[in-house]
Amino acid sequence: MLARTCIRQALLTSVLLAVFSNAHAILPIEKLPSFKGAQAYLVQTKALPMVDIEISIDAGDRYDPAAKSGLASMTGQLMNFGARADKGVLSEAQIADEIADLGASLGISVGGERAIMRIRTLSRKDLRDRAVILAATMLSAPIYDAKIVGREKQRMTTALLESETKPEAVLDKRFRKSIYGTYPLAYSPSVQTITAINSADLKQFHQQFYRGERMIISIVGDVSPAEANEIVQSVLQKIPQSGPAISKLPEFERSPVESLSQREINIPFDTQQAHLAMGMTAITRNNPDFFPLLVGNYVLGGGGFVSRLMSEVREKRGLAYSVSSYFAPGKDAGIFRAGLQTKNDQAALALEVMSSTIAQFIATGPTPVELEAAKSNLINGYPLRIDSNRKLLDNVSAIVWNDLPLNTMEAWTKQVEAVTLEQVKTAFQKHLAMDRMKIVILGAKK
Amino acid sequence: MRSTLLRFSFFFLMCSPFAWATPGNNPSNTHEYQLANGLKLIVRQDNRAPTVAHMVWYRAGSIDEVNGRTGVAHVLEHMMFKGTDKVKSGEFSRMVAAVGGRENAFTSRDYTAYFQQVEKSKLDEVMKLEADRMSNLNFDDAEFLKEIQVVMEERRLRTEDNPNGLLYESLMATAYMSSPYRYPVIGWMNDLENMQASDARDWYRSWYAPNNATVVITGDVDPQKILQAVEKYYGVASAKTLPVRKPQLEPIQKGIKRVQVKAPAENAQLAMAWKVPKLEPGKLDNPEPYALELLAAVLDGYDNARLNRALVKEQRVVNDVGVGYDMISRGPELFLINVTMAKGKTVEQAESSIRKALNEIAKNGILDSELKRIKVRILSDQIYKRDSIFGQAMEIGSTEMAGFSWRDIDVMLQKMETISPAQVQAVAKKYLVDDGLTIGVLDPQQRKSSEMKKGVQ
Repeated sequence: MLARTCIRQALLTSVLLAVFSNAHAILPIEKLPSFKGAQAYLVQTKALPMVDIEISIDAGDRYDPAAKSGLASMTGQLMNFGARADKGVLSEAQIADEIADLGASLGISVGGERAIMRIRTLSRKDLRDRAVILAATMLSAPIYDAKIVGREKQRMTTALLESETKPEAVLDKRFRKSIYGTYPLAYSPSVQTITAINSADLKQFHQQFYRGERMIISIVGDVSPAEANEIVQSVLQKIPQSGPAISKLPEFERSPVESLSQREINIPFDTQQAHLAMGMTAITRNNPDFFPLLVGNYVLGGGGFVSRLMSEVREKRGLAYSVSSYFAPGKDAGIFRAGLQTKNDQAALALEVMSSTIAQFIATGPTPVELEAAKSNLINGYPLRIDSNRKLLDNVSAIVWNDLPLNTMEAWTKQVEAVTLEQVKTAFQKHLAMDRMKIVILGAKK
Repeated sequence: MRSTLLRFSFFFLMCSPFAWATPGNNPSNTHEYQLANGLKLIVRQDNRAPTVAHMVWYRAGSIDEVNGRTGVAHVLEHMMFKGTDKVKSGEFSRMVAAVGGRENAFTSRDYTAYFQQVEKSKLDEVMKLEADRMSNLNFDDAEFLKEIQVVMEERRLRTEDNPNGLLYESLMATAYMSSPYRYPVIGWMNDLENMQASDARDWYRSWYAPNNATVVITGDVDPQKILQAVEKYYGVASAKTLPVRKPQLEPIQKGIKRVQVKAPAENAQLAMAWKVPKLEPGKLDNPEPYALELLAAVLDGYDNARLNRALVKEQRVVNDVGVGYDMISRGPELFLINVTMAKGKTVEQAESSIRKALNEIAKNGILDSELKRIKVRILSDQIYKRDSIFGQAMEIGSTEMAGFSWRDIDVMLQKMETISPAQVQAVAKKYLVDDGLTIGVLDPQQRKSSEMKKGVQ
């Protein structure tokens, strides 16, 4: 039998939360004492004897020098390919074997804004301690052995060249370039920039960015606050708190008003389907318009089978298997993007349907019925966003990274409920405009 | 999000090929019932969060299709959203969305499954809808004509423009002569072009019946109340006489087969697939399938597993490696190794490296420590898997569809624990031999860019 999750009664009397039985109030996020300048948070869940730990580092791709695009990614990805421990150097093989022997998993991913290391381990103290020590070793003292760096550079360039034969990858690259303008996320790694990166660059980047004050530790699972504290201290034990100042990133500038010929890129590509993307700069996660845009986009293209885009493009016309739109609101930069794939001789028609659907939505917003349907889905479905340790970790991590209030999860459904028709329409008109939308069309055939 | 360059995802160790449910599949949290009309119901209580996964599994997949109508199982899956006598086209999804549900469906070689995930108080509403379309599907020809276009777009996306998809499709069609596993689940394009609404309706009439379905519900539920609701909604459907399923056993392969696929890509790929046994219902004592699962994990179950270590890291002959084997399935099984060449390396070099690694195991066996490592992984996965309510439903359903009981899952785990290094060595020696081998090669071609006028309007 599973132990019932121990829950603190949240002080919520909202009607919306009536969906939760008393035993299922939303779990609180506990702030742990800061250490080495890092922030740390815990959500304690006792039902399963496991714990998830995430270390997120403000060291994403946006800090890549233009000539060495790929540096941030490589710095993160190569941490587990050798590190210096107290007892000497741990080889990549020893690190991998240790993770496997502990029954743990460890993954590193590097995105535009941050690098993330995640460890999942059983909560039994001896196993947990070893997993934490291993993570701390990789995080603080990766060695970036020149031979391994050479091997991984070759693997990366091989994968890079492969991606250039894939329609979706080529489209992504060009779309990013057109949308981010002068902001560093416009760049993508190339064979040239990867080739330019060496072991010294990686060490230097690591030294510069992997510091306590640029880190957030989020923990979800079967550990007490005291144990969570121990984890935080172990992970950061050998990490310096601060270092020399890091130069400011360039401003993230709004997509300008341009004529269609300036905004539209056509890429010849010999595929059966044309791939289309359209979008522009938009909001960051802490923007007050976040909820109106979330609710509105559910209606436009975020609501799966029931969105307007899906209805116009797929259900009524059979033009595409998948079509959708989304906002990707980051901490410092955010975008809006819509896209689809369709048989290459239907590209013009599909683009026309997609554009006019988006244009009309910006102009007139949702109907009252659509607004209610969107709210009803988001509110009723909220429990599905937080019903596992993994999902809770995603939420905690995003809340802290984006400087949102710690009661974000409790307040979420109320904020959705409060959104009005007028707010949706105003927010869409404020942040999106058809004469600013970049359009990338790949593989269309007349 | 910017994509990372390395093929490296969170919890990459999850790609170990085991597919087990949780330990403690004991009667105290899992309950099984059978309705008078033959419908099987399995309920697992997991009250960590106030949510529920509701799935209905039909034992009808591409393995039940016939030539000329390939892809019909999947096409019907699409048509299931196109209306019943009472619920008009598109309403199903609208109603599920209104209660905050997440929904979808998927078709495989062995089954077709439909699911919704909802907050627990909304379960009745989605159950009512799902039960309704078990018996009362009613779509018109115009809907079919639009939807078949959508399915063709899906095929273009997944297969026609995807070299991996093309290679896998050719490999399967070459490896199998008579088993319907030779058909792609999405169907051959020409079969889709010629499919009629009546083909989909015939499929529905043949296979969509309570006695060919298993309902699986996991989450914060009371099994007794669930049984009452299931009786109420699903109990009204009538059992049918199902079509006869011919065994269509694959003849013994008598020598190596090769197939080459030319497609736009940068690097060559090599896939090697051996005919191997699977686990048979009622014969859970056969050690070979477990040993093959463990062999797959020894080769590719973690970051320092043999193939990754030797081929990617030491010899640098390939860029990445994947090993696949699933001991639980309705049809015949393959043990599959696929690799992408590293820069400047040939398919021949990769093949010889793979053979060398396999011969090493056949000749000298594997280490105790390797096996122990894999088994630790299997056990810890039992805990991790319970973090997902939906994942538990998936596991129960897919196990049941292959002819096993969810109760067998613990037995399988125990058997797996008892396998020795010698037994892993024995299956490598016995089955990874040329007589049952099919080799597929992706021969990369330069993509011709199409001529295009600027400004599609």
